[in-house]
Amino acid sequence: MKKIGVFLCNCFGEIGRTVDLESIRKRLASDPSVGFVALRESLCMPGDAAEVRATLRERGVGRVLLGACSPYGRMETVRLGLAKEGVDMRKVRGADLREGCAWIHGKNPAGATRKAANQLDMELARLQNGQDSMDIDIRVRSEALVIGAGPAGLAAACGLAGMGIPVHLVDRGSAPGGLLNVVTKVYPTEVSGPAKIKSLVEMTGSSPLIRFYGKTKVASVKGYAGDFKVALAGPEGNTSLRAGAVVLATGARLLFPRGLYGYGKMKNVITQMEMERQFAAGNVACGNAVFIQCVGARCAERPYCSTICCPLSLKNAMRILDEAPGSTVTILHRDIMTPGSTLEAYYRKALHRGVRFVRFDAQRPPEIRGNGLVSGVEVFDVLSGVTRSIEADLLVLSTPLVADPESAALARMLEIPVDRHGFIAEVYPVHPVETRNDGVFICGTARWPASSDQAIAQGEAAAVKAASFLGKETVPALTMSRVPGTKLGHAEANAEACTGCGNCVAVCPYRACKLQRVGQRSVSRVIKVRCKACGSCMSVCPNGAMQIPEQNYRVTGAMIRRAFREVR
Amino acid sequence: MSPVADTNILVFACRWCGLIGADGAGRRRTELPASFRVIPVECAGYVEPDAVIRAFASGAAGVAVLGCHVGGCRFNDANHPALKRLELLRTLLDTTGIGGDRLLLGFGTAHEHHQWADTIRDFHRHVEGLPSMESWMTSVAGDR
Amino acid sequence: MQKKADQKKTVLVVGGGVAGISAALDLAGNGHRVHLVERGHDLGGQVARLDKFYPTDHCAFCPLWTEIRRCKESEAIAVHTLARVESLEMREQGYRIAVVKSAPVVDPELCINCGRCEAACPKGVARPIWEHAYPPVYLIEGAHCGDCRSCVEVCPTKAIAFDREERPIELDADEVIWAAGFEEVSLEPLKEYGWGTHPDILTSLEFEAWKAEAGENRGKILRRSDRSVPRSILFVQCAGARDLRLLPHCSAVCCMHALKQAQWVKRRNPSIDCVILYTDLRAVGRDYYEYALRDFNGNGIRLVRGRSSLITPLPGGDGIAVKYEDTLAGTREIRRFDMVILNGNLRPSLASKPAPASRPELDGEGFVAPASVSCGFVMEPADVTESAIQAASAALRTITGKN
Repeated sequence: MKKIGVFLCNCFGEIGRTVDLESIRKRLASDPSVGFVALRESLCMPGDAAEVRATLRERGVGRVLLGACSPYGRMETVRLGLAKEGVDMRKVRGADLREGCAWIHGKNPAGATRKAANQLDMELARLQNGQDSMDIDIRVRSEALVIGAGPAGLAAACGLAGMGIPVHLVDRGSAPGGLLNVVTKVYPTEVSGPAKIKSLVEMTGSSPLIRFYGKTKVASVKGYAGDFKVALAGPEGNTSLRAGAVVLATGARLLFPRGLYGYGKMKNVITQMEMERQFAAGNVACGNAVFIQCVGARCAERPYCSTICCPLSLKNAMRILDEAPGSTVTILHRDIMTPGSTLEAYYRKALHRGVRFVRFDAQRPPEIRGNGLVSGVEVFDVLSGVTRSIEADLLVLSTPLVADPESAALARMLEIPVDRHGFIAEVYPVHPVETRNDGVFICGTARWPASSDQAIAQGEAAAVKAASFLGKETVPALTMSRVPGTKLGHAEANAEACTGCGNCVAVCPYRACKLQRVGQRSVSRVIKVRCKACGSCMSVCPNGAMQIPEQNYRVTGAMIRRAFREVR
Repeated sequence: MSPVADTNILVFACRWCGLIGADGAGRRRTELPASFRVIPVECAGYVEPDAVIRAFASGAAGVAVLGCHVGGCRFNDANHPALKRLELLRTLLDTTGIGGDRLLLGFGTAHEHHQWADTIRDFHRHVEGLPSMESWMTSVAGDR
Repeated sequence: MQKKADQKKTVLVVGGGVAGISAALDLAGNGHRVHLVERGHDLGGQVARLDKFYPTDHCAFCPLWTEIRRCKESEAIAVHTLARVESLEMREQGYRIAVVKSAPVVDPELCINCGRCEAACPKGVARPIWEHAYPPVYLIEGAHCGDCRSCVEVCPTKAIAFDREERPIELDADEVIWAAGFEEVSLEPLKEYGWGTHPDILTSLEFEAWKAEAGENRGKILRRSDRSVPRSILFVQCAGARDLRLLPHCSAVCCMHALKQAQWVKRRNPSIDCVILYTDLRAVGRDYYEYALRDFNGNGIRLVRGRSSLITPLPGGDGIAVKYEDTLAGTREIRRFDMVILNGNLRPSLASKPAPASRPELDGEGFVAPASVSCGFVMEPADVTESAIQAASAALRTITGKN
């Protein structure tokens, strides 16, 4: 085995002032596995990396130990420099002699020197006992499965196709479009729902890269990033296909406000979506319309804001005022949710246009009047402190988006978590469309209530992230990490030692451990693509069958043994 | 100095919170007892009960596992079951005569360099006040 | 291995905050080259400097930090910190961009963070950069510098020099993504907020730094005037925002930001009385409303729907008098608070850039007009998640050329 080269950094006296580097140098040099020990004034200055590289070439060492500063100090510069010089960083370890030693034990040079020697010894143990995880190259099937052809799914499919990646686009409906098909105007613009996604639908139809499967459901998905095996159940029977990535864009449903404010009993109580259908039929309501916001939302049962209902109500209110002169619209609300610049301007526009707003308290919801038909609403206006009686010819209920149980079923199949409302969880917060399962992306209202613009942006985001993976022919599993560089390694299961107890399966936060039948036994297997090397499986394995080679039990054992070794 | 000093502390620090706290304390030149050694780990979830016991057998008088706050883990809350597991280990340490209070489970954020320093100082003081580990080592040897 | 090496583009990303970093990484991930230009010392922008994220209540910098390091490790991303875009010239194909690299007194490439300059400086103008900046360096700036140059002498790496000059560089790019983020607007023109009249009237970003765990008070909640523990803190929402006199837009992030700060105040010192004066409680993202509900459900934070009409220091300076209307209770109140936190005065950064050659076309409120590709706060007030989504979407639009 090639020997280990050690570089000790004096850091212009910052380390050497406290730690006796010369005695440490001698000590390390006597270790048979160490090829040489070099004392340097610095490691992070311009040109240092090249010098280190030259020394490594000259001495022919395989592994490197750096005694320098903390990984969050200048060590980062050192590592970046060495990486740029072509040094294999998996063979380089660092011990923190500055922030973790010289700077905090300045009054105790003897103690600091002993500690420095121990910490260097411990890292040496890592280099001596650690092994390299066997990496595998994942062959990536450069095809994507997009489930759901609403605005998010369409945007994802078209985005992927635009980057040259073939897409299988699946929807349970017969045509693409999703909820937008029934929307005659999309806030805050004047365009209709179908017009908004016209170019996307056209591209779906015309692009040779997109294959649309209407009236089709996903029967099963197996596999993992790079190669998912998918079974579709469509009108012509089952189809099976393989895809490198899956984009989930199954959307959400609107709450049906059965039993609330006379809905279902009184004919002139409708939901915003039914109002959209009336608009589509050319029937713009006349007379006095009253909208109630947060019907079934921001309540104990559904403690969330559905994002789209306030702007949607503003849009429908202005439309009634514009197209049915003589009408009035009153919006009963708890807060007007129009964050940002565009929507806030839209809210101002509605105020100027003459939409009336009455704020009510969730504890004192509006009460409806009328027999058979709603004739008016009593509401306590919290801003003026009086109870208002408002004539109503039409009562429109704004109901929230609720999670689709079918999405949750798919999420289970894809082994990704849903939140407590049934929406699919992303990797918070800077990976907004990625999920716990690499290769599975989430966008649109299946993720969280979103406007069509937001859904499209999310679809595009999912496309870009999926493409960065699908655009490659092979991906080393070790780079499948959200952590910079390569991950520490992967866990490996020793089939001989494994008793199949399933502890690792229960504890793995990434569902990377699976039990597999081998002959009569059941043994654990690690899906390397999913493993993030957190070490959870190692620590629960009763027989030491689970190991991360880079930090296996021998490494830990040796580090522990050397931690307090006497220094002479 | 005997290898079995009464203040030897082995710290397993997760590199997302604990280790950054240590870095912050270093940047401020916070003077700390030189009795502790650090093993950086990806996640507190890595620390197995066995390693803690081995640390005591190798001359540690105290073991600290410093991870992220529950809910703040980079690895989908891998730290949570690990810390529960180690909590159970305390009982075992009590029955073996080592004493459960020689194991410290700490949570802190990367911001809390002062908390890191206080934790190390307090634990050092605490361990220093406990009976010598040497008597335990001899008693174990005697049992054999 | 990259399959489509022939369609590589070079993209200039202006701004190294959440949006800029995300866009750069998504472009690089798809095989394109990026020039990431950032004004400040380090990547991460405003968000990395926040003490805490909502709704998870964990550190803000850590998730960003890995992204920052991925940017630095990427061979496809050229990071230009301490740089600003001077002008853009449209060419037949793409742009020629003039960038100016500013000349810091301390060269971040050379500073080893040893702190000898701080020890040597008689005027106290040498200080470490904020806690989690990478690289961790010292800054020497401020009007109090006595020009003694002791710092230059003690610096072991010759990182300190007062005679460095700004350096122009030229970059070529096929596309530009604007991701310059937000900045605070002075609330001085709106006298009723009393900003600048008392040290205990702070903007929320000032307060975030003041109360930060890694900040000078180690997370303790103290008054800025005398470092005593305040008895009461008032959070004023929509200060300067949703206000046609200053910023017509809603800054979108402030409701959650105030809720977060108030909850952290309570967590650190439950005896401090917290009141939030809000207009509409805009908590629309995942888990945001539930985060807000903690306050409704009696954890001691009082949410008052209303706007303040006057904030003024009490005579003698001990405390601040606030006149406000509680619109839900229908009462007008005058109350004394120990601290007042003003929330909302955020505007897109490019709005203050005077030279039209250095920026894209803006709309009436200072946001980037749809003709240019942008993401993050310069496009539309956005939180972290929204910014990251917009960034990826902007990356796609530059890759496919469909804006």
